[in-house]
Amino acid sequence: MGKIRAVSVAILVFLFACYFVSCGKEREARIKIGINAPITGDIPKVGEGTKYAAQMWLEEIEKAGGLQVGDKKYKVELVVEDNESKAESAVKANTKMIAEDGVLVIIGPQSSKQAIPAGGVANDYKTPMISPWSTNPDTTKNRPFVFRGCFLDPFQGPVVANFVKEEFGFKKAAVLYDVASDYPKGLAEYFKKAWEGLNGPGSVVAYESFTTKDTDFSSQLTKIKGSGAEFLFAPQYYNEVALIVRQARELGFTAPILGSDSWGSAETVKLCGSDCYGLFFSTHYAAAGAKGATKEFIVRYQEKYGYVPDDVGALTWDALRLAQHAIRNTGSLSGDLAKDRQAVRDQLARVKDFEGITGKMSFTEEGDPVKCAVIVRISNKGEFEFYKQVCP
Amino acid sequence: MSGRSFMITHAKSIYGSVPLIGWLVGMLLAVLTESFFGNTLAYALYLPKVPALFGLTIVLKQPSLFPATVFYVLLIYCLPIFAVAGLTATWANRFAAAMEKLPLWFSAIIHIGVLYLVLHLWTDLSDYRLQISKLTMIAVMLTLSINVINGYMGEFSCSHPGFMALGAYASSTFSLALFHQDRLFGTPLLPEFLGPYMFPMGLLLGGAAASLGAMVVAIPSFRTRGDYLAIISLAFMFIVKSVLENLEVVGGARGMGGQPHWATLPAVFIGMTVCIGVINNFVNSTMGKALNAVRDNEAAAEAMTVNTRRTKMTAFMFGAFWAGVAGGFYAHELRYINPSSFGIQMLAEILAMVYFGGLNSVVGSVVGALSIQMLSEALRPLELFKWIIIPLLLILVMIFRPTGLIAFREFNIRKTFGPKVLKKRI
Repeated sequence: MGKIRAVSVAILVFLFACYFVSCGKEREARIKIGINAPITGDIPKVGEGTKYAAQMWLEEIEKAGGLQVGDKKYKVELVVEDNESKAESAVKANTKMIAEDGVLVIIGPQSSKQAIPAGGVANDYKTPMISPWSTNPDTTKNRPFVFRGCFLDPFQGPVVANFVKEEFGFKKAAVLYDVASDYPKGLAEYFKKAWEGLNGPGSVVAYESFTTKDTDFSSQLTKIKGSGAEFLFAPQYYNEVALIVRQARELGFTAPILGSDSWGSAETVKLCGSDCYGLFFSTHYAAAGAKGATKEFIVRYQEKYGYVPDDVGALTWDALRLAQHAIRNTGSLSGDLAKDRQAVRDQLARVKDFEGITGKMSFTEEGDPVKCAVIVRISNKGEFEFYKQVCP
Repeated sequence: MSGRSFMITHAKSIYGSVPLIGWLVGMLLAVLTESFFGNTLAYALYLPKVPALFGLTIVLKQPSLFPATVFYVLLIYCLPIFAVAGLTATWANRFAAAMEKLPLWFSAIIHIGVLYLVLHLWTDLSDYRLQISKLTMIAVMLTLSINVINGYMGEFSCSHPGFMALGAYASSTFSLALFHQDRLFGTPLLPEFLGPYMFPMGLLLGGAAASLGAMVVAIPSFRTRGDYLAIISLAFMFIVKSVLENLEVVGGARGMGGQPHWATLPAVFIGMTVCIGVINNFVNSTMGKALNAVRDNEAAAEAMTVNTRRTKMTAFMFGAFWAGVAGGFYAHELRYINPSSFGIQMLAEILAMVYFGGLNSVVGSVVGALSIQMLSEALRPLELFKWIIIPLLLILVMIFRPTGLIAFREFNIRKTFGPKVLKKRI
């Protein structure tokens, strides 16, 4: 029986120890910001960019000793959750951050596939959420608590069409896009509509598609070459861009190839090499030749993590700054989460001419920003050079 | 006898004789304690909130809070459960024995009712718990439905995400076109208040769509066996995905969103219990036994007058039906579906759950779904390492228990609900 007693005493001691270990922790009011990022899964680079930008932002806040709201300085805490680039996990992560961690604002998820269902959760629980990168209209539609940090496809499509018309005066366009992926497909449609509006019906002479993970585009490209198109619009992700451009050149298609903001990754040039030099694409910001706050951000990011930030990093930074701006503008936090979340949401909706590093922005009623797009030229050194700004 | 082994036999003699109802009442008391004193205790222990999943999510994120969480779990859950289960064992046994004389459905309703009450009270404290519970129950349905095919029938089918997609799309179309205003179908045809009552219809429709899909795969593929079925069913999954991607009516690659939130806790719970009951009855029926015979030796089964073709077809369509129903719940829980979610990653997850839990076993499926879901929640903060640890665990299970944790075990409902005979004390 001695052993039983020893065990019971040990358990009791352990329990008391547990209690005292957790004693002495201060309970202080903190502002928690949730980050819902695809750290693992299909697009880990996007998740990494999100996380790094968020950490850099937190460092800046900490350097200032906290976030000033009214006459009080609050400590800020980041709650980073991995959404595995899955819709289900993004929803779980959002619910957890809202119900368990008690975050004031959520930044993310980045892709629409996760941002749409996660936005539904955020809106149901009346928690403001800013998706920096999601371009699908459904993300913010009829959701007063959901905002986004980037322009939408219905704006970007015409931007490219107008740019080509003005710059080159072409009349015949070809489009090559991934039919199975939400973003390229949407953009291809908007571009086609805009181009046909400018040049009359039939001016898109080739409208070819493929499916995600295809690597051989020769049949589509042969058709495009044969159609007599003067340029090709390929709103694809960086891994496909390299393949498309290279295969097009090998087939002897020498006309310009244009892209969209999905080209704006450091990987594009790394994979594509000199084939991509001199090509244009529309995006959120240009790293090379940036000025002011944008440059400062790029330099600091590069020093810290060793590469030039993608647009995701820059957009996340802007989303965080927007959140900071809105929190500060509430004047004071009551400590009641529901009330504070509402207040932050109201301030976000009121944002006007916010100076972000990806441009000036104001929110529309839907929570979508009105901001300018940038046309970038890939220089002969492989840098993304600012070429032109197109504003709505 | 040494003290330790004495304690173990002592505990065994007490807790080995507690019937299910005793444990359930213990759990009920635990969740009641939590709903009354949980917040106070958490505050006193300097925990930020009531630990959501027994501290699983805290362990890796804030290890310093772990001791307090252990204390909390011991005090709130373990103490009441073991105390009540141990102290009321005799009465619980008498009660269970009395219920055994009544029809089975009666004791089933009582047990399930108490279980629901436990779940309801437990999830009431945190919306995160609610979400996890619902998704876990949906996973249980999926795992069970694939177990019918991969476990009981012994074929390797890869088309489950496809069936799920069919179910999800069919039931979403049903609820969006008839009851809910949305982007794709516009104004609903019927008034919205009818919707929740008609939700079971939508689920049945989803299940039927999946069954129909299963029939399409089954007709050509059941001329072959083994690897060929795996390949054909994999192809079917990709066909479904491509078709949905190209069907603009249901949103194409943009997906389908805005489903009404009808997958509530009672709805999913009822769905899951019905699913467990029906599948358990199916696999224990003559058809289920015939299915096992077909798996073990098709020629012998044929010789024993089993209509092998019909048996396989029925089982395949039956499994697909429940996958479709689970898909319907999934769509109404996430309220957004797109074709690319029903891809190879989903397949890997479903297969992991069924092979982890155990083939040819209802309990195994429940255990598999529950453990993989909980593990993936607990390990999420590890980010990349999570994807090393979970597969590693699977490999270990495959090495030491090649058919899964709890495989080839019959789930006898009557025995589970019945009294536990007091074993003789050693």
